[in-house]
Amino acid sequence: MMKKLNKIRQSKILVTLVWIAGIIVIWEIFAFIVEATKRTPENILPHIWQIIFSFFDPKPVANGMSCTAVVFVNAGQTLSRAGQGFLIGTLIGFVLAILMKLSRIVEKIAAPYLMLIQLIPILGMAPIILAMTHDIGSSRIIIAAILTFYPVATNTLAGLNSVEKAKYELMYSYSASKSTIYLKMLIPSCIPYFFTGLKIAAPMAITASILVDTLQGDGGLGCMLSQSLKHAMSIYVFWDIVVFSAVIGVLSCSLMGWIENIVSPIKRIERKTKKKGAA
Amino acid sequence: MIKRRKSLWQRLKENSVAQTLSTILLPISFGVLILVFWQTQVLHKIFNTDTNTLPLPSRICRIIIDNHSAILVNALYTIIVAVVGLVIGSIIGYLIAVFAALFQKWGAGGLTIVGAFNAIPIVALAPVMTNWTKDVSNDPNIRSMVAKILVVMIVCIASMSINAFRGLTELKPFTLDLMSSYAASKKTVFLKLRLPNSIPYVFTAFRVSVPISIISAVVSEYFAEYIVGVGREIRENIVLGQYPTAWAYIVVACLIGLLMYGVLVAIESIVLKSRRVK
Amino acid sequence: MNEKPAYMNNDIEIAINNVSVVFKDNSGNNVQALDNIDFDIHKGEFISLLGPSGCGKTTLLRTIADLLEPTSGNVRVSGRTPKEIRLMQKFGIVFQSPVLFEWRTIKKNIELPLEIMGYSKKDRSDRADEMLEMVGLTKFANHYPQQLSGGMQQRVGIARAFGIRPEILLMDEPFSALDEFTKEKLHLDLLKIWEKTNKTIVFVTHNIQEAVFLSTRICVLSPHPGRLSAVVDVDLPYPRTIEMRDTPHFGELVSKVRNSFEGGSL
Repeated sequence: MMKKLNKIRQSKILVTLVWIAGIIVIWEIFAFIVEATKRTPENILPHIWQIIFSFFDPKPVANGMSCTAVVFVNAGQTLSRAGQGFLIGTLIGFVLAILMKLSRIVEKIAAPYLMLIQLIPILGMAPIILAMTHDIGSSRIIIAAILTFYPVATNTLAGLNSVEKAKYELMYSYSASKSTIYLKMLIPSCIPYFFTGLKIAAPMAITASILVDTLQGDGGLGCMLSQSLKHAMSIYVFWDIVVFSAVIGVLSCSLMGWIENIVSPIKRIERKTKKKGAA
Repeated sequence: MIKRRKSLWQRLKENSVAQTLSTILLPISFGVLILVFWQTQVLHKIFNTDTNTLPLPSRICRIIIDNHSAILVNALYTIIVAVVGLVIGSIIGYLIAVFAALFQKWGAGGLTIVGAFNAIPIVALAPVMTNWTKDVSNDPNIRSMVAKILVVMIVCIASMSINAFRGLTELKPFTLDLMSSYAASKKTVFLKLRLPNSIPYVFTAFRVSVPISIISAVVSEYFAEYIVGVGREIRENIVLGQYPTAWAYIVVACLIGLLMYGVLVAIESIVLKSRRVK
Repeated sequence: MNEKPAYMNNDIEIAINNVSVVFKDNSGNNVQALDNIDFDIHKGEFISLLGPSGCGKTTLLRTIADLLEPTSGNVRVSGRTPKEIRLMQKFGIVFQSPVLFEWRTIKKNIELPLEIMGYSKKDRSDRADEMLEMVGLTKFANHYPQQLSGGMQQRVGIARAFGIRPEILLMDEPFSALDEFTKEKLHLDLLKIWEKTNKTIVFVTHNIQEAVFLSTRICVLSPHPGRLSAVVDVDLPYPRTIEMRDTPHFGELVSKVRNSFEGGSL
C-alpha cells in the first residue's frame, strides 16, 4: 500500500497536476483581487469557472449563436487555413532541406537567407500580404506556410547533416547509388529532426492564422477576438477564444508527437524501454 | 604510374579559396538578382501586383531617407520594447530555471508546463494586456509601453527557462562527483559548475528569443492603445493605403532584427571566446 | 581437416605496391601518413595491421577499401583496382563502431546491403536468418539496435559484413570499444566464422595480443612516417583456443612482435 502511494507521489503526472493546480490557485487569487478592486473584472481576469460556464451557456451572443458556437464556427475557418498553410510550408521546407543537401550551390545560396528570414517580422507583414492577395483566406495560408517552412527546413537540414561519416562510408562500400543513400539512410535519419521542426511550426501556424484574422472583419477566431474586445459581443467570447487557442496550440504540438510515434519505430521502442526502466 | 587528371569542377571543389569565395558571392549575387527583378518589376508580374502595393526598392530607400527622423523615433520605441521585454523575460526565465534546478523533481514538471506555454498563441494576450495596465499610469504612452513589454516578456520566458534549465543540469559526466569529492557546498557547485556550464545554453535561448522578441513587439504594437512604433506604423499606413511607407517600416523592422542579432552574435563571440579552443 | 587451409596456397589476393599517402594538416603542412608500403596479402589469410596510433594502419585499410586514394603507388585486389572491386560489391567492412541504422531492426540492418544489391525479399530474409544464427542473435532479430549491448551490436555489424558473402573482409579496430570478456568471446566467434567461410580478412588493431591470437600474419607498422617495419608469421595452429594465450610460445610471439617495432620498445 505504501509502495503504491510512493509510486503515485513520484510519478511525473502528479508533479504536473500539482503545477496545474498551483497555476489555477494563483489565477483565482488574482481573479478575486480583480473582482474586488476593478469595475469590469471580466475584461481583466474573470474566474476560471466563469469561462467554463460561458462555454456551456446557450444564451446567444452574436447572430443568434452561443459562445461555443461562435468559437467553433470561426475556428473551422481559421484552422483549416492554418492547416493548409502548414502542409504547404512543411512540403516546401522539406524539399528545400533536401535540395540544400543535394547541391552545395543551393546550400550556399539559401543558408544565409534561411537565417535572415527569421529576422523578418512575417507576422508584421500580414497586412501587406493581405493587400497583395486581396483575400484573407490565401493570406492566412501564405503566412502560415512561411512561418512553417523555416523551422521545418532548418531542423530537417540539421537532421540530414547529423549523419555520421561512417554511415556514408558503409553505403560507399556497398557502392550504393545516390537515390539509395537518400532513401535508405538520409531521409530516415532526419525524421526525428523533421518532427521537431513540425512541433515548433504547428502552434506558430495557428497563431499566424489567428493574427491574420484580426486584420479584416470576415470571420475567423482573430476577428471574433477583436470584435469581442471592442464589446461588439460578450467579452467571454474573447476568453473562450484565448482558452480554446491555447488548448489547440498545445494539442497541435502533441498531435505531431502522436504522428511521430506512429511513423517512427524508434519512438515506440524508446517508449517501451522507458516503461521497462520505470518498472 | 597513372595519374588521373582531375576535372576543373573537381579541382574547384577542392580549392578552399574558391569555396570561401563562393560562400560569400553566391548568396550576394542571389540577393542582387532578386533586387534587380524587383526594381525592373519582374517580381510584380510574378506576384501579379502593382508598384503601389509592392513599391520599388529605390522608392523604399527614398522614403526611409526622407522620413529618417520619424522612422528613428518609432524604431527607438520598438527597440526599447523588444530589448526591455527580452531582458526582463530572460532574467525571469533564468530564475525559474535556477529554482527548477534546485528542486529538480518538482522543477522539471513545472518546466513541462512552461514548455506548453510555448504552444499557446501568446500574441492573443496582447489586447488583454491593455486592460491589465489601465491603472499603471495616466500617460497612455507609458501604459502602452508597459503592456507591450509585458507581452514580449512573457514570450521570452519560456525559451530561456527551458534552455537555462538544461544548461544548469546537463553537466559533463563526473563533474558533480568531482565537486562532491571536494565536499563542495550546494552554493559552490552552483557558482563554480552549474552557472558557467549554463552560459552557452543562455546564448542558445537568446538566438531563439531575439527574433521572437521583435516580432512580438511589432505585433503587440498593433493592439496597443498609444499609436507609436514600427509595427503600428506598418498597420496605420496600410489602413491609410500608404503602402510604400508601410514597406519602409517593414524594411526598418528587418534592420532592427539584423542589428539586434548582430549585437547578440558579437556579445556571444566575446563571452564564449575562451571556450572555443581549437 | 585433411584439406590444406586456403591461406597456405599463397595465391595473392591483395597486392599493395609502393603505397605512399601524404595529407595536408590544418596549417597546410604536408604530413606523410604512409611511406612506401609494399607487401602482398594472400587469399584466405587473416592478416593484422598492427601499430600504435598515428602509424597509418587505418589509412592503409582505407586505401584497400577505396575510401582513400594513395598519393603514389597503387593497390590491386585480384588484379583489379579497389574501385572496381567496390563496384562489384565484394568488400565487407566492419568499423570501430557498429554503424547500425537505428530505425531498422537487427534483421533489417543485416538485410540492408542485400537490399541495395537487389536480392529478392526471400533471399534477403533467408540470408539474414542464416547470419543471425551464425552470430547467435536469432532471438533478437526483431529488436532495434539501441536495445542491444555494445558487444551484440558489433556482432550485428559482423553479421552484416559477412551477409553479402564478400571476397574480402576489412575490419577497422572492430573490438577496441568492447570490454575484455566480450572481446575474447567475439575473437573466438570471428575465428570460427573465418575458418568456415575461408574469406580473406584484413584486421586493423593496436592490441598486440589480439593480433597474435587472431592472425596468420601480422604487419607491424611504425609511425612518423607510417612504414612497414616487420611482417611476423604466427605459427599457432587453428582452431585456436583461449588456453593458447597462456602458452610460452604465445608469449614469445608477443615479444617478437613487440621487438619488431622500429626503435625496439615504444
